[in-house]
Amino acid sequence: MKTPTAHVDLQRTEAGNLVFTDAAGVVHDKVLVVRLFPLTDPAHWIALTSAAGHDLVCIEDPAALPEDVRMLLAEALAQRDFVPLIQAIHTIRRAAHGYEWYVTTNRGKTHFTVENDESIQPLAGGSIVVMDQRNTRYLITDPAALDPKSRQKLERYY
Amino acid sequence: MPADPATPPLIEKRLEPGERVVAKFQTDLDLHLQFQKGLLVLTTRRLLFLEENKGGAAPFRDWKLAEIKELSLEEMGATGALHLMAAQQPNCCHWRFTAGLIKEADTFVARFMDQQRTLVGGTPADTTGTPDDGPDDEGLDFTDLMPEAARGNPLLRLLMFSRPWLRLIGLGLLLTVAATSASLLSPWITGLLVDRLLIPLQTKGQDLHIQQLLPYAAMLLATAIVAWVLKWGRSFVVARIAELVTSRLRRELFEHLQRLSLIYFNKKRTGDLISRISSDTDRLSLFISLTFIDFVCDVFQFLFTAFLLFKINPLLAFAALGPVPIVAWLVKCVRGHLRSGFAASSRAWGLMTSVLSDTIPGVRVVKAFAQEEREIARFRQTDHHVFATNDRVNRTWSFFSPMIEMFTDLGLLIIWVVGALTVAQGTLTVGVLWVFVTYTTRFYGRLEAMSRFFASAQRAAASAHRVFEVLDVEPEMAATDGTRRIGRLSGRIEFRDIKFRHGSRQIIRGINLDIAPGEMIGLVGPSGAGKTTLVNLACRFFDVSEGAILVDGQDLRDIHVEDYRKNIGLVLQEPYLFFGTIADNISYGKPGATRAEIIASAKAARAHEFIMKLVDGYDSMVGERGQQLSGGERQRISIARALLIDPAILILDEATSSVDTETEREIQRALDNLVHGRTTIAIAHRLGTLRLANRLVVLEDGRISEIGSHEQLLKTSGTYARLHQAMQDVSHA
Ligand SMILES: Nc1ncnc2c1ncn2[C@@H]1O[C@H](COP(=O)(O)OP(=O)(O)O)[C@@H](O)[C@H]1O
Ligand SMILES: [Mg+2]
Repeated sequence: MKTPTAHVDLQRTEAGNLVFTDAAGVVHDKVLVVRLFPLTDPAHWIALTSAAGHDLVCIEDPAALPEDVRMLLAEALAQRDFVPLIQAIHTIRRAAHGYEWYVTTNRGKTHFTVENDESIQPLAGGSIVVMDQRNTRYLITDPAALDPKSRQKLERYY
Repeated sequence: MPADPATPPLIEKRLEPGERVVAKFQTDLDLHLQFQKGLLVLTTRRLLFLEENKGGAAPFRDWKLAEIKELSLEEMGATGALHLMAAQQPNCCHWRFTAGLIKEADTFVARFMDQQRTLVGGTPADTTGTPDDGPDDEGLDFTDLMPEAARGNPLLRLLMFSRPWLRLIGLGLLLTVAATSASLLSPWITGLLVDRLLIPLQTKGQDLHIQQLLPYAAMLLATAIVAWVLKWGRSFVVARIAELVTSRLRRELFEHLQRLSLIYFNKKRTGDLISRISSDTDRLSLFISLTFIDFVCDVFQFLFTAFLLFKINPLLAFAALGPVPIVAWLVKCVRGHLRSGFAASSRAWGLMTSVLSDTIPGVRVVKAFAQEEREIARFRQTDHHVFATNDRVNRTWSFFSPMIEMFTDLGLLIIWVVGALTVAQGTLTVGVLWVFVTYTTRFYGRLEAMSRFFASAQRAAASAHRVFEVLDVEPEMAATDGTRRIGRLSGRIEFRDIKFRHGSRQIIRGINLDIAPGEMIGLVGPSGAGKTTLVNLACRFFDVSEGAILVDGQDLRDIHVEDYRKNIGLVLQEPYLFFGTIADNISYGKPGATRAEIIASAKAARAHEFIMKLVDGYDSMVGERGQQLSGGERQRISIARALLIDPAILILDEATSSVDTETEREIQRALDNLVHGRTTIAIAHRLGTLRLANRLVVLEDGRISEIGSHEQLLKTSGTYARLHQAMQDVSHA
């Protein structure tokens, strides 16, 4: 099923809200933009939902959209989306409850606690998702591409 | 580390005279969602914001509370935002943080509103409460705190765990030392035999008298027998200690697990927990019974032989033991590596067990979708993971023993060379050289065993860590665990402005409801509204994040949990039966129930008739999870189970949603018996089920949207009316 993505009528109000007009001409204010596969396919399958969470439209490939709409989507996603990509692992050490990871991500250096072995899970496509104690998700897109030291540390704990 | 801008003195410095800190909230992101720490401080007069400085001056902003129009929290998926609108410049400000901090942010906003209200109310602000020095205090510190060290070496803890059997352990050690000494005597005797008897015999050409040989032979025999008896005693005592300790571990693990809250089990995989209780404790048992005692024995022999060697001939001993420091250094090098390798291997094992416990109970689904191959592939992959992790450690440690053998040969080579020279000089007899060679061989043998011990110890440490990790989980409710003992409740339940979060997601958003004793409440609402969560809170499977639940006027958190649960009958949509007979399952909540009671409650639950038809009647085995019964039959047994304990509060969570209409009618009748004279909360999708309800409560998105009787709610034509209409449409279609 291909969604007709050619005409997604999305605008931004002066207050900064996104306004979407659907095929029937109904106007929805304050729509939200969400990624449907934030971990495994962040570039595709982007949905617009109403403020109450009802589905409005589902966009398979944003690249097919006009430039301005795409920009709006990208900006909205940049505000909401938060999956830091782990680029280097400095230390993993045992803490009182689980393991403390010290890492560099694409959003800067940070450290977090991983409670369970179940918190580190492989995803389809070879990437690994790490969930910390507070439910933030960190992604290692390509474990093989990490520097050898980081990879060695990862191997010990995963 | 950058200099820290917001240590307490720095906040203090910013405060005006008489101003006090009320609450603090540490943000962890900047506006571009980069990791960056900042600190919001609410004082009696102002809101301050400090940002961690990376080099330059710490950015600082402040607003007077009176100037702030609004401070609001927005949940944005994986992150949250605080928005501030103010009459003063800057008018508008935002802060971002990861979703894990939403709860703290929520509290901060609440404190802010309280504070502002106090200001408007004209009360002197300084009289409001004490400053919030609670958990926020650590938020003051921008530096990365060293994580709290894990609680000591797991192997030491294992030793502590064995404390009740200290005497037995002492006996084991004593036997070990004695047995070892006995076996160490024989080379000594042989040496004497060579020097006193054989050498003179050969050099002087005397005849051998059997009387001369006899004492030596007798001594050798005696040491052999003594060593045998002692070793036998040792093995038995030690094996017993190992079993006692691991049995205690298994028992305590299981007991501890039973006390942990549902939240813990939601997070953990069953298979992993099973593997910790079964295979990790088994590894520890092996470790204690074989490896550890061997090690003690080895250390003793090691020291003793070293002592003997030095006593016999210090020079030779020095030469023979030359390679020892190299070995020690090697052991030190690989230790850490081995430990993490074994930890990975234990984890891989847990993962494999998890796959098993996931797939085997789901075998019907697997077969129905013809996905056997896929599950085989999944298992093969985890099994390969086990193989690969084991392989990785084996590579390291299998390299070890051959290497030590080489050092043994080296040591012996040195002895032969140096020894031959000394014998030639005449300062050493051949017998002594013989003793020396034997002891050196043993010495290196012990050294090898000891190095092997380090590998096993690392493996045991990894297992012990996994075991203690579970034991260290604090039962979530322990902190506030109620101690007030109660008997039978009358059944009044009050929800006072309760809120609840699963992680960062708010599920219950403020519910107020009073339920009178004996009243029946029908809880309806769309799926995902939070109905099950609400009754879970009422059962105290979880604790509320805010607000309070009162039963008979007492806070649920003050009441002894088990006493309280004895007052609750719970019937779930998917009844869970245990392996055993029907009678066992019905009397689960009251093990001492008489047969008459069991039959009475089965009759009331409309289960009696189908039970009679079974060949073994009430003694029929239901199979694992009651698989040998139909859904409706299982459900009626679970109703009988709830009925038998005669609960003051009855909770039905979609008890009839998954059965056919005929069975539902049967169950309905059963429930009518059950509901009578108790406080009941019934969740149902089929609204007909709730015809006996005194009041219907409509729950939507974590809030109560409508309350009233069936007729009242139909008149208001709200959600309930819509649900009712939809039901009508379906049944008429
Ligand atoms: N263990 C959990 N962790 C996180 N979210 C949960 C958990 N259990 C339930 N939820 C969420 O809580 C919400 C309410 O669930 P529930 O109370 O089961 O709804 P229902 O009204 O259908 O019984 C759902 O959106 C669900 O996704
Ligand atoms: Mg439910």
